[in-house]
Amino acid sequence: MPGTFRFLDEIAVADMAFEAEGDSLPALFDAATQALIQSLADPATVTQTWRQTIDMEESDIDTLLFEWLNRLVYLKDAQAVVFHHATLAVRAMPDHSAWHLQAELVGAPVDQTTQDLRSDVKGVTKHLYAVTQTGTGWKARVVLDV
Amino acid sequence: MTLNTGMQVNRIDDYLWEIPPSEKAGMLVPARIYASPAILGAMDRGVFDQVTNVACLPGIHRYALCMPDGHWGYGFPIGGVAAFDPEDGIISPGGVGYDINCGMRLIRTDLTLAEVQPKLELLMTELFRRVPAGVGSRGFVNVNRREFREVMRKGAAWCVAKGYGWEEDLERIEERGCLDGAAPAHVTDYAIERGINQLGTLGSGNHYLEVQVVSEKRIFDRGTAAAMGLTGRDQIVVMVHCGSRGFGHQVASDYLKIFEKAMRRYGISVKDQQLACAPFRSPEGQDYFGAMNCAANTAFANRQVITHQIREAFAAVFDSTPHALGMQLIYDVTHNIAKVERYGDGEWLVHRKGATRAFGPGSAELPDCYRAIGQPVICGGSMETGSYLLVGTNRAMHDTFGSTMHGSGRTMSRAQAKRTVRGEQLLRDMKQHGILVKAVSMSGLAEEAGLAYKNISEVVNTVDQAGITKKVAELKPIGNIKG
Repeated sequence: MPGTFRFLDEIAVADMAFEAEGDSLPALFDAATQALIQSLADPATVTQTWRQTIDMEESDIDTLLFEWLNRLVYLKDAQAVVFHHATLAVRAMPDHSAWHLQAELVGAPVDQTTQDLRSDVKGVTKHLYAVTQTGTGWKARVVLDV
Repeated sequence: MTLNTGMQVNRIDDYLWEIPPSEKAGMLVPARIYASPAILGAMDRGVFDQVTNVACLPGIHRYALCMPDGHWGYGFPIGGVAAFDPEDGIISPGGVGYDINCGMRLIRTDLTLAEVQPKLELLMTELFRRVPAGVGSRGFVNVNRREFREVMRKGAAWCVAKGYGWEEDLERIEERGCLDGAAPAHVTDYAIERGINQLGTLGSGNHYLEVQVVSEKRIFDRGTAAAMGLTGRDQIVVMVHCGSRGFGHQVASDYLKIFEKAMRRYGISVKDQQLACAPFRSPEGQDYFGAMNCAANTAFANRQVITHQIREAFAAVFDSTPHALGMQLIYDVTHNIAKVERYGDGEWLVHRKGATRAFGPGSAELPDCYRAIGQPVICGGSMETGSYLLVGTNRAMHDTFGSTMHGSGRTMSRAQAKRTVRGEQLLRDMKQHGILVKAVSMSGLAEEAGLAYKNISEVVNTVDQAGITKKVAELKPIGNIKG
């Protein structure tokens, strides 16, 4: 099942917050990624002319999601791109010593004339940040600094 | 009185309130909030919780302060001010803010509303073209890594040397637009890659460039206004609000991670993970201070390059030169910073997060042109309601580590603002009210609607009545550029 997300109103008055859910870790990561992508620009207005493959490894799942989302923000600034979608795979290393993410991120250079640009998110914060396992899957709460 | 915070809040006077250390375990000093009774009553709970968390940080001196534009922030509240002993106190990125040296700049002109109004559409289009804003925007100044490190070290002076400004601009910038102690070696490649293409860009969120008018009836202190080059008579000025962009944010994020680990090593515990800190004199504390100064200097440079572009736009539209148009800088102040400053009782590491330096008359740090009147303080309001120019006082030097408010402060979330008003409609409504807006993002515009902010006049009256800054003039918008 695909994950879902919703923006939260009153958590960060001056910024943005969202809650993502999924019945699996890949679904959770996918939903959180979608929330961030949609915060930056309407993906329907972003073409698929820029691609990057990303491999990341972190010791725990909280840090992996946090660093992955921050990587998107970094790429937005460093390469002046916004995103259409990401294809993700998340798995534990065989010895369970770490978590690994492999992603293909697809988007296009920023173009104010054709894209519906939204917030210039500056970073993912640790404020109220949480990744939790629920009875039905996984949930994450993320506050974005804009 | 007990507000809905569950804490005892004692009235010091009509505009100052104190939460005693007995109200939270670990508080080392009282927390003080500047607010009228109405502003205090409307403040979100986060302010009370966060300002008392700040009062628990090691080495804090006298009080943890919050200004009347205070609202919830990351770690410190927005509007937070705290001074720490540089020898045994801490430094915290949460007390500076992610957007290091976010600040305000005000430029005067000799132009009047009558002269600008017929060309306003052309002027705003030219400004929008020359000052990039919004997601992923890149500046026109191309620098390589070596040059970017020079920007980190020299700040606004680098720009003036390259022709992006006037030598006389520098004396009208806090710290002459260059903080000592910048250490590019302590800045990560990630931060450099995020910032190297952003010189001269506004960003988005609450950042803006605004063309404003100062009318005679909105000048409160004629002599002080005249010393700043404001004559009234529907005079046009330009205000800029922006900071160090992605570069500063990356510096803050990088060091929050380092400080989380360092705190365990130094045996420091904090009430909120976003208050991660390190002893100022520790290697980690000094590394952050060096990197933070790099970001601060880059922000001064950013606003300097934008100033150059503003002058060029006005010169092109009015077929003149910036000098002939009288486009002197009035002042540039930072409202997200940590600096070592000297007060009567010694040297302190003052953190200002959404708070402005407000040095009073006679301060040695002020340039000759302002030493008699005090430091100009620029406070940005919402794009619909206007902004204020104030001046620092000697009372601020004594009571608030030379600090005051920075803006109006939000009261409504971005999501709620977007549900309440549509960007396209807001654009039309503002035009009807005489404010021409150029925006990259309609949803971003809706988020910044005036209804999402406190009444800035009430906030300004609080600091004026409290005596920590005095009103000089109110500035009304006629044109606004947003990311």
